[in-house]
Amino acid sequence: MVRFRFSVLAICTTLLLQASLAVAAPHQLWTQLTPVQQEALQPLSTQWDSLTPKLQKNLLHAAKRYPKLTPEEKQRFQSRLETWSKLTPEQRKRAREKFSAFSKVPPEQRQQVKQMVRQQEASKAAASGAAPSTPEH
Amino acid sequence: MNQEFHPEQIKQLLNRSLARLDQPVLARLRDARTEALARYDAHSTVPAFAWIGFGTSHRHAADSHHKFWAAIVLLVALLFSCTAYWHHTTDHEVSDVDIAILTDDLPIEVYVD
Repeated sequence: MVRFRFSVLAICTTLLLQASLAVAAPHQLWTQLTPVQQEALQPLSTQWDSLTPKLQKNLLHAAKRYPKLTPEEKQRFQSRLETWSKLTPEQRKRAREKFSAFSKVPPEQRQQVKQMVRQQEASKAAASGAAPSTPEH
Repeated sequence: MNQEFHPEQIKQLLNRSLARLDQPVLARLRDARTEALARYDAHSTVPAFAWIGFGTSHRHAADSHHKFWAAIVLLVALLFSCTAYWHHTTDHEVSDVDIAILTDDLPIEVYVD
């Protein structure tokens, strides 16, 4: 009986330990990444080791899709990585919520909003004297 | 004495003999039967899953705590599986949205407060 209870407790402890390990993502060094991951996350090479394990995990998930992106999407992905990594977890969460909400807007309205944003960006760029950014499509 | 007995006759003879038995003899026979049954119970095969409560009868009631612990193990295993699946799904959903934001044709600042 004692052996049985001990076995049960051992199994429970092991399962809980595994669950906690699954939840806590391990910290990975830049040198431990695969060449494909390094290529996708190149803009973060210098600060990668200082990123939180949770952010690293999210970025590594995203990096899996990198090889399938178009050249234009790859360029956007890499140019935004640094800004994205510098956001707070709360800001990233809010951004995801906004993006998800915006995805549910009807396509015509979405296009209108996108057009407005592009015009605003162009105006800002013109006002600051800089060349307007290349329209993104 | 070469009379042949029909099985039905034998049964009747035995029943009649039984009716004539003394009370002490009957009591001893009853005790012997009880003892034999107890031995049979002790050596009887326990169902394969009896330890988690299947196929048990009142005589295995003492093993109810086994059922309790088995239920705990199953519950923990179930919780672990659900948690792992939930994390796996959530991580994928989050990374899908992340890559969509990072490759969207609107600048990232639009979505950031």
